[in-house]
Amino acid sequence: MEEKKKLICFKCNKELVPKKTDFSYLGHTFFTEIPKCPQCGLVYLSEEIVKGRISEVEMQLEDK
Amino acid sequence: MLPQGKMAFLHELVKDCLQDEKAFCTVKCPFNLDVRDFIGKLQQGRYNAAYKTYQNTVGFPGIVSLLCPEPCRDVCALKEKGGSVSLKLLEAASMNFARNREPDQYNMPPKPARIAVIGAGPGGLACALRLATRKYKVTVFEKSGHIGGHLNDLPDADILIDDIRLQFKHETLDFRLNTRVTDISALDFDAVYVATGMHGDTFGLSLIAEGHYSTDRDGVFMGGSVTGVDVMHAIAQGLSTASAIEGFLKTGRMNHFEPPATETKLTYSAIKIIPSEAVRPENGKEYSREETRAEANRCLKCTCDACVRYSPLLGYFRKFPKKITEEVEVSINPSSLDGEATLATRLISTCNYCGLCREVCPKEIDTGEFLLRSHYTMREKGKMPWAFHEFFLRDMEFSTGEASLLLQPREQGELKYLFFPGCQIGASDPRLVMRSYDFLLNNFPSTALLLGCCGAPADWAGEAPSHKEVLKKIRSAWSNLGNPAIVFACATCNLMFRKHLPEMKGIFIYDLIARSAAIPSIHGNKTASVFDPCAARYEDGLQETIRSIATRAGFRLEPLPMEGRLAECCSYGGQVSVAHPPYAEYTVKKVINRNTNPYITYCSNCRDTFARAGKETMHILDLVFGLEQRSQPTVSERRENRLRLKAMLLKEYENEDFNMEMKESKLTISSGLREKLDTGMILESDILTLIETCEQSGNKILDPEKGSFTGHLQIGNMTFWAEYRVLDDGRYELINSYSHRMKIEE
Repeated sequence: MEEKKKLICFKCNKELVPKKTDFSYLGHTFFTEIPKCPQCGLVYLSEEIVKGRISEVEMQLEDK
Repeated sequence: MLPQGKMAFLHELVKDCLQDEKAFCTVKCPFNLDVRDFIGKLQQGRYNAAYKTYQNTVGFPGIVSLLCPEPCRDVCALKEKGGSVSLKLLEAASMNFARNREPDQYNMPPKPARIAVIGAGPGGLACALRLATRKYKVTVFEKSGHIGGHLNDLPDADILIDDIRLQFKHETLDFRLNTRVTDISALDFDAVYVATGMHGDTFGLSLIAEGHYSTDRDGVFMGGSVTGVDVMHAIAQGLSTASAIEGFLKTGRMNHFEPPATETKLTYSAIKIIPSEAVRPENGKEYSREETRAEANRCLKCTCDACVRYSPLLGYFRKFPKKITEEVEVSINPSSLDGEATLATRLISTCNYCGLCREVCPKEIDTGEFLLRSHYTMREKGKMPWAFHEFFLRDMEFSTGEASLLLQPREQGELKYLFFPGCQIGASDPRLVMRSYDFLLNNFPSTALLLGCCGAPADWAGEAPSHKEVLKKIRSAWSNLGNPAIVFACATCNLMFRKHLPEMKGIFIYDLIARSAAIPSIHGNKTASVFDPCAARYEDGLQETIRSIATRAGFRLEPLPMEGRLAECCSYGGQVSVAHPPYAEYTVKKVINRNTNPYITYCSNCRDTFARAGKETMHILDLVFGLEQRSQPTVSERRENRLRLKAMLLKEYENEDFNMEMKESKLTISSGLREKLDTGMILESDILTLIETCEQSGNKILDPEKGSFTGHLQIGNMTFWAEYRVLDDGRYELINSYSHRMKIEE
C-alpha cells in the first residue's frame, strides 16, 4: 500500500509517511502500511486502495 | 429463529422435495435404468459411457435391448407431445457406437460364500452373473443340456446366447448341465436361488411377504418366470436377488435389500414439457449417430426443478432446496475447527423473500421463509456482516424518526381510516402521497395519516430488536387513534402488517381510487404490461383493481409471462443489493426484459428500480395523478423527499413551518460525482457531516499539488472519505468520495 504523492497533515504540518496501521472487520484484525502523520497519526487511504485491496479483503471476510 | 433440533427442522423442510424422485420411465423400467444419466451421456456423444451404464443396469444388454417391450413409452412425458422417446433404439445405439462392448474385468479376491442357482434361464443366469462378478463361488444347476432356457426357442437365439457368453467372458462358474435338482435340502450351499422358469419346480417353497424374492426357507430365494413374471422382470429379479443374497450373507436377514422402485412422487405438472417430434430412423431399423443425438436431445430428463427454473435465487446459484438447507446448516452450526466457516452467509443474504419458490413448488417448500429464519439466527449469533443491511437500517431509522409524522384530520369524531403510505412512495416523489391524502380527505374526511416505515428492512435484516421497536411504535399510534382501518399504498407494508400486525386490518387505496376517483384517460390505447409486485402475489382483488385503473387510464394491457401468482421480485426485496450486487443486477435485467412494453406497477421500489435500469415504468398513482414523467431520485434525494413531504404536509394541514435543514445545499457536487455517490449508496448529508467534522477538528490532509483536503469519518460502522475544497462563500466543493467497511484502528 504505497502512496507516492506528497500529502501533508493539515494540523501538524508534517508530511505523511508509510506506517503500520491496524484494521479490523467482522472480528478479524490485521495491519498494513499506509500513509500516516508521524506526529498525530492521522491516516490517509486512497480510493485506489479502498476499491482494490480493502474491498477484496472485506469480501473475503464476509465469505469466510 | 430456528427451533431446537435444527437438523430435524431442516429435514422436515426438504423431506417432501421431489428433486431426487426417479423419472417416470425409470420406475416403469423393471431394471430402474437411470434414464437421465444414460441419456445425458448420449447427449454428449459419450456412447461408451452410456453403454456401460446400460450394461451395468441390465446385465445382458444384448438380450434386453432386443426383447424389452418398452413399458417406458407409456409414461413418457412426450407421449402425447410428439411421441415417447425411443429408449429401445437409443439403447441399441449405445451398443452399436460403443468402442468396447466387452464386460469389465474386476481383479478382486474370491469370496468364500458358495451360492447355488437352480436354472440357467435368463433370470438364473442374471443372478449368477452378478454374484460371479462379485467373486462369489457360484454353481449353476440346469436340467437341460444348454444354457439360456427359452431364449433358445426365439428367432434371434444365436444373438441372445452370444450375449450371455460375452457377459460371462471373464467369470468362472461351475455350470452343471443335465443336472436336475430334486431335493433342495440336499444342496450344501450358503444361499440358493430358485429360477426354474415357467412351470418349473418350486420344491414346495412359498414366497414370503417380508422379503423380496425370499422364500419361507432361510437362505433360499426364488424369482423369475417360475413366479409368473415375463423375461424382462425375470432378468431384473435375478440381478436384484444377487443383492438380496449378498445382504443375507452379510447380515443373516432375508429382507436386507431395497428392490427396484415401481413408483415415483414426481408429477407431470412439475415438469417443463417441451413438445418435439420423435426421430424416426432413416433406415427404418437403427439410429445413426446424428439421429441418436437428436432423439436423446428430445428427452426432458424429467426431474422436478420448478424452483430452480423460476426462483431467481435458486436459479442464479443453481441450487436445490436440499443443497441450500445443507449449506445453511453448516453455516449456522459450523463444523470447522475454528467454528467460523460460514459457507452460506452471502446466499442467506441474497434472498429477495419474494415467495416465488414456494408458489412454484408442487410441495410448497418455502425456501425463502427458511432463509429468513436462518438470517435471524445468523444475526443473533453475530455472524451476519453488518454491512449488508446497515444502510437500509439507518434509512428505516430516519423514516421512523426524523421523517415520521402523524397527522389527524380536522374533522372531529371517530376516525374511519389511517393512511399508511409507507416510506418509499414519498421518497420516490412526495407529490404521490400529498395527492393521495388529498383524495382520501375529499372522499373520507375522517382519515389520519402516519408517515413511517413498516419495519420490512429490519425483518429482512433479521434484526429482531429494532423490528419489534418499529412494530410497537405503529401499534401504539394506531391504538391511540382508536384502531381505525388502515389504508395501504404499498403491498410490502400490507404484507408486513398481515404477518406481524395482523390485528391491524386494512384496504388498499387503489380500491378506493377505483371506486371514487376520476382517472384521466389520456394514454390513447398505448400498450403496456402490469408488473405485479411480489408482495401482491396473493392479492387477487388488488391485481384486478390495478388493471382496471390502468385500462381506464387508456392503456391496452398485454400480460407478462410471470404475473399474478407468479409475480417476480424487481430485485429490491430483501434489500440484497449491498450483499450481492451482481445478483441484484441479474434479477432486474431478467425482469425488465420480459417484454418491451412499458410497465405499470403499484410498488414504488419496482418503479424506481426499473426506472434506474432504464425501463419505462409508471407507478399506478402516476397515472391517477398525471405524474408519469418524473425523474429517478438518488439515495440522498430519497431522504430529502421524505423531509420535504413532511414539510408539505405540515404546511398544508397544520399551517406549520417545518425547518428542513438542507445540509446538501452546502455542497457543490458535479452530476457525475452525484451519480457515483448514488451508486455507492453514500448520502450527501453524511459527507457534509464528515467535512464539517474535519473542518472543526482540523483532522484533514492537504494535497499541496491540488490544493484539496481529504478527511474521513466513521458513521455507524461505515467509514466515509471525502476529498474537497473550501469555497469562498463557505460552501464546499466535493471532488471525490468513497467508503469502506473495514475499521481503521487509530
